[in-house]
Amino acid sequence: MPAGTSAGRPAGQPAREAGGTAAGAPVRPHDEASAHTPADAPDGTAPDARDGSEAPPGTRTADRTGTPPRTLAEALRNRGDRGLAALLRARPDLLSPVPNDLTQLATRAGTRASVVRALERLDRFAQQTAQALAVAVEPTSYGTLLALMSGDDGDPAVEAALPRALEVLRERALVWGDDDRLRLVRTARELLAPSPQHPSPTGLGPTAAEATAGMSPGRLQEILAAAGLPTTHDPVSAVASLTSLFTDRERMAALLDTAPAEALAVLDRLVWGPPYGTVAPPGDSSGAAESTPVQWLRDRGLLLPSSLRTVVLPREVALHLRGGRAHREPEPVAPGIEVAAEHRPQIVDSTAAGQAYTALATVEELLKGWQTGGPAVLRAGGLSVRDLKRTAAALDVSEQIAAFWLELAYAAGLLASDGGEGTSRATGEGERFAPTPAYDEWLDLPAASRWTALATAWLTATRTSGLVGGQDAKGRTLAALGPDLDRGAAPEVRHRVLALLADLPWGAAPDPESVLARLRWEHPVRTPAQPAPGTPEPSDLRSRIAVWTLTEAELLGLTGRGALSTAARTLLAAPALPATADRNRGERGAGVVPGTAETAPEPAGGVPVGSATHGPADLAARAALAAGVIAPLLPEPLDHVLLQADLTAVAPGPLERPLAEALGVLADVESKGGATVYRFTPASVRRALDAGQAAADLHAFLARHSRTPVPQPLSYLIDDVARKHGHLRIGAASAYVRCDDDALLDEILADRRSHGLRMRRLAPTVLAAQADPATLLEGLRGMGFAPAAESAEGDVLITRADAHRTPHRTPPVPVPDGPPVPNDTLLGAAVKAIRAGDLAATAVRKPAPHTGAGELPRTTPAETLATVQAAALTGSAIWIGYVNADGAASQRVIAPVRVEGGFVTAYDHTADEVRTYPLHRITGVAELADEPA
Amino acid sequence: MNGPLIVQSDKTLLLEVDHDRADACRRAIAPFAELERAPEHIHTYRVTPLGLWNARAAGHDAEQVVDALVEFSRYPVPHALLVDVAETMARYGRLTLVKHPTHGLVLSTTDRPVLEEVLRSKKIQPLVGARIDPDTVAVHPSERGQIKQTLLKLGWPAEDHAGYVDGEAHRIDLDESGWALRPYQKQAVEGFWHGGSGVVVLPCGAGKTLVGAGAMAQAKATTLILVTNTVSARQWKHELIKRTSLTEEEIGEYSGAKKEIRPVTIATYQVLTTKRKGIYPHLELFDSRDWGLILYDEVHLLPAPVFKFTADLQARRRLGLTATLVREDGRESDVFSLIGPKRFDAPWKEIEAQGYIAPADCVEVRVNLTDSERLAYATAETEEKYRFCATTDTKRKVAEALVRRHAGQQTLVIGQYIDQLDELGEHLNAPVIKGETPNSQREKLFDAFRNGDISVLVVSKVANFSIDLPEATIAIQVSGTFGSRQEEAQRLGRVLRPKADGHKAHFYSVVARDTIDQDFAAHRQRFLAEQGYAYRIVDADDLFADD
Repeated sequence: MPAGTSAGRPAGQPAREAGGTAAGAPVRPHDEASAHTPADAPDGTAPDARDGSEAPPGTRTADRTGTPPRTLAEALRNRGDRGLAALLRARPDLLSPVPNDLTQLATRAGTRASVVRALERLDRFAQQTAQALAVAVEPTSYGTLLALMSGDDGDPAVEAALPRALEVLRERALVWGDDDRLRLVRTARELLAPSPQHPSPTGLGPTAAEATAGMSPGRLQEILAAAGLPTTHDPVSAVASLTSLFTDRERMAALLDTAPAEALAVLDRLVWGPPYGTVAPPGDSSGAAESTPVQWLRDRGLLLPSSLRTVVLPREVALHLRGGRAHREPEPVAPGIEVAAEHRPQIVDSTAAGQAYTALATVEELLKGWQTGGPAVLRAGGLSVRDLKRTAAALDVSEQIAAFWLELAYAAGLLASDGGEGTSRATGEGERFAPTPAYDEWLDLPAASRWTALATAWLTATRTSGLVGGQDAKGRTLAALGPDLDRGAAPEVRHRVLALLADLPWGAAPDPESVLARLRWEHPVRTPAQPAPGTPEPSDLRSRIAVWTLTEAELLGLTGRGALSTAARTLLAAPALPATADRNRGERGAGVVPGTAETAPEPAGGVPVGSATHGPADLAARAALAAGVIAPLLPEPLDHVLLQADLTAVAPGPLERPLAEALGVLADVESKGGATVYRFTPASVRRALDAGQAAADLHAFLARHSRTPVPQPLSYLIDDVARKHGHLRIGAASAYVRCDDDALLDEILADRRSHGLRMRRLAPTVLAAQADPATLLEGLRGMGFAPAAESAEGDVLITRADAHRTPHRTPPVPVPDGPPVPNDTLLGAAVKAIRAGDLAATAVRKPAPHTGAGELPRTTPAETLATVQAAALTGSAIWIGYVNADGAASQRVIAPVRVEGGFVTAYDHTADEVRTYPLHRITGVAELADEPA
Repeated sequence: MNGPLIVQSDKTLLLEVDHDRADACRRAIAPFAELERAPEHIHTYRVTPLGLWNARAAGHDAEQVVDALVEFSRYPVPHALLVDVAETMARYGRLTLVKHPTHGLVLSTTDRPVLEEVLRSKKIQPLVGARIDPDTVAVHPSERGQIKQTLLKLGWPAEDHAGYVDGEAHRIDLDESGWALRPYQKQAVEGFWHGGSGVVVLPCGAGKTLVGAGAMAQAKATTLILVTNTVSARQWKHELIKRTSLTEEEIGEYSGAKKEIRPVTIATYQVLTTKRKGIYPHLELFDSRDWGLILYDEVHLLPAPVFKFTADLQARRRLGLTATLVREDGRESDVFSLIGPKRFDAPWKEIEAQGYIAPADCVEVRVNLTDSERLAYATAETEEKYRFCATTDTKRKVAEALVRRHAGQQTLVIGQYIDQLDELGEHLNAPVIKGETPNSQREKLFDAFRNGDISVLVVSKVANFSIDLPEATIAIQVSGTFGSRQEEAQRLGRVLRPKADGHKAHFYSVVARDTIDQDFAAHRQRFLAEQGYAYRIVDADDLFADD
């Protein structure tokens, strides 16, 4: 890392984090941010004096000016505060809880989980660098590392990129030590070093020394002899001499020159890994020594045995054959994003705005449909597949896209489960989905703000609608709006994808494959199996999220024709510095900004932190800006429609909401899109009349909102429907009074006593009453009339007191006190069972006659383990108390064979077979006095 | 951003007709979009796969379509729709039927996976022969129509470049003395001839017969003309003798009455589809001569068996004539694959604007049933309901009043039910033409009507099609075949011939209020309303209040 590169960073570079302290960075090349790098170490005293006030200066000064660090903790101690902050930012898991001191921090940074996490978050080249360090001899010098990365021939791209990669590893505390003595953190080394179980991505095998461990000295001598080396009886020096041969390019070349062609072919197969090969056991080919190429290689130690049937290519040999390179294809430079198509920015913006408007309309339509009788919430949460299908059909989109709109509305807080509220109104029972009160507020916003509300909700959401319809690990289908759809990586990937799009020129649409390739470089998947080129579906989650992001951004109108719109660029903010915005490392910024356009977007750290460091307030501010950008592009709501004689109305654009709502009642929507086509039908007009409108209102409404005269057929239709509307009247009454004499009914109505019966005259000879017939009869009789009841058929009903009867009933069954007297069968069975149990008890006791009072033996778990282990070693039998899975206790005599993983495998004398007992179920053990027979 | 076109998500295009650029836009989208509705302000076009393939067949490419949409659209066109258009159009012509010098008829492809895909289909397998090379497969010549139909159903319409047989040459010339083909008729003939086979869509009364004659004059070969009924056959014959060099002897009639096979033979659908003992005895007509051209009149009525025969006639030039491609049975795709793509289309109102068809005033007269009729209607059996409300006395009275009102003008009273027609004939003192009327009698009556000897004619549905009654000015429809849209259009067509004095035609549809008749009427009128014929709805009482 060249000293003072930070000076090359252009002054005034915006978007630095950490506010005030960082502001001075560009003009102070020697601030502490750059001080801790190895290159700057010689003048480290100066910055140290400046920041000494905030920590015990004594120890740190001593460390920093003294010898190179001996441990990671010391290396961390030598860092400036910014270096530590960078570490904690890059590995936030180290912060919870906040470590007490640097030793603890170093320890925690070396834990397996944390290291795995840190390694996963490296970009591909940094990972490759770490992998190379893992196969190098510790400590490694920078030169050795460079040779491993670039090979014997050198590679300018690798040379240029390596300092950065190394710096990243240092920053993340995965590598420490200065350039002469680079050390990979031990855990990382263990994780990355090749072993038969975990093949290294480098494809390298174990070193010769590791592979020959445990080999007989005699065999070593033979190898030395065959390889033409002086023999030595000391195995250590023998291995050393072999290793030095393997690492000596010239001697190796000479040795390989003598190899038969087939042997070289064998080496070719193994050289790029996996380094293990299966061969016939050596015994088989003993008769024909030197006959096979493998044999030739084995004799010279170019292949070393790793087990009976496998051989391994020692690392040094492989490196020689590879020309010193640890990786077949080092990828020092992030793959560029290829432009698939270029559109005029205006086209992009207008297309995106059109889609943005569609998004608003779709969400509105979706929620409008759900505000009465939304679908039920599944018991496990989420929406049933059938309801999703129905929603998709209603929106006229695929289920996957319907799920996206649902999740979008949910993420934006516009839609939620009602939690069982309002069940009284709903037909069914249980929870239903319904729009939230926030939906009403959202509706009142201007269109542009409604859009930004959706867009920001989508950007920050961890829920991923793309998973809907797939299955979780247990094979359950993931439901829309249901649980288990959260993916923590989603917002970050979304931001990163959009940031990559933002780096393209305006109007340029990327090739999705190249975006995926770039993401995979920045954040390689853990499994080394890269998707083969041409595989249609990327399998890893990040790539899938990225693919969804591209689709969803288009749906949402963030992109138009694949290119990022101006509004989206505003929303994402500072598009030129997406990756550096959260970075304050001087040299990092310097590496990024002055570079060519090609390297500029390269994320220095590999991990786009994304929204994590953008505060919500920041996002809101940018959303407001974006709303301003998109607002003029969204269509203005109209206040008129075109009425036509074929009984349709066309709204040539979005309508003002009150108009749209009124028209939605009066006519059926026939076609949607930029415009809306409504059709008037008798049913739709009747609906409007039912909603309380009069024909005159409807005429006035249409005349007001039509630019042209209302067509005659439409006026006629309204009048025709209105003519019939309400012709028949329906109401509820409990009883009626009919009488052929109008005057009598007049009399009843006039009588004050009849008020309680709530009677109303329907026709000259009919009264309807809200009181039930019996009350009415009573009431009228009380008033001195003599009414007769009428049946449904109109006959006079003769009332007579019916004798009341219950429905069919069975007499009560007697309830005796205590259990019933057992019968003979039951008794016989019981006796038999008791006898059998007794027999079993005595049978168990037999092989261990000395078991005291028949109690289970009780010993402490430690004692149990020790005794069982001892018995396994000596092969003796012991007596145990055991509780089975049903909780039944028994005593057994067993001869333990093996004790591992909390289980005892033993020959059970009691059951006469080999069984496995969990140790925790053994209540206790006792040694037997003598061997059972 | 301020174009006349709005692209809807359901792939309809709304064209604002009053817009300055509406005409340019109409021309740009007409090749690929079907005009679905043409009311006064906004015309609706629909983009369908068939329409897009029609455009491809006419030599337009996806880029032109996308450009037209983007150019004229008021709002951004959904990207997905553009992609869909491009993809759909790209499907046409991946497969072509061509004549191989040695293997005869072959299906060849420019896109091998497509061929693999269709060959895997069980429906295609019996139609093809040996694989000639990876991109070519032999097709049984007899299955040329079948394979086109099936491929269209699979979504990979084949382009038919296998050519046509010339047929037996026969000299036919247009005899353009005192008249000439109208410009649109010429265009239609050219469009058809250039395309080889296909359908010409012209409004009733716009002179489809002459387009047929023009096509025959182009082909100059023996011609088989398929028409709907005998009267229509006679009319064709009459017209051909008048307008072309053909003589009476050269034209044969193949119908229930006569079985003549001449260089130009006019056959009725009915005789062709007559089935005896499970076979079609008159099928040999198709093979009786080496026809050079087959004309299908009223292609929207083509009966299913004729489709089947047509499938075997793919090597002959075929011209379909119709006023509307709307088929009540939805077999538009069979017309496309078997007769051919649409080659010419002119909206009714456009022809009317050019003065070639008379303007018409369409009125729906709503009749209030009397109380006793209403009661009888309410108690009628469901299947009898339409018949009952369509033939009420009140309706008859209104029809009579209408006839009286237009006394002196040539009036057609059209109905469905014979009893009703007989009764009307009696009351109006007018002759009735119905199915049982002998053809000679029909001809006589039609002639008398044309000459003005009789001014009122009561006709059943036999007069729906191809009866040329140029001076008919008033049509009064008292009942119809339920909700048939094309019947309504055909009936209106009866009065659309341009009048000598240019006066307006009147079309009355008498409808019983609050009955199923009213619902059927609404359905029947949809096609015409969509063609821009605005129906006025008038109460019968109001109509006669002025009188």
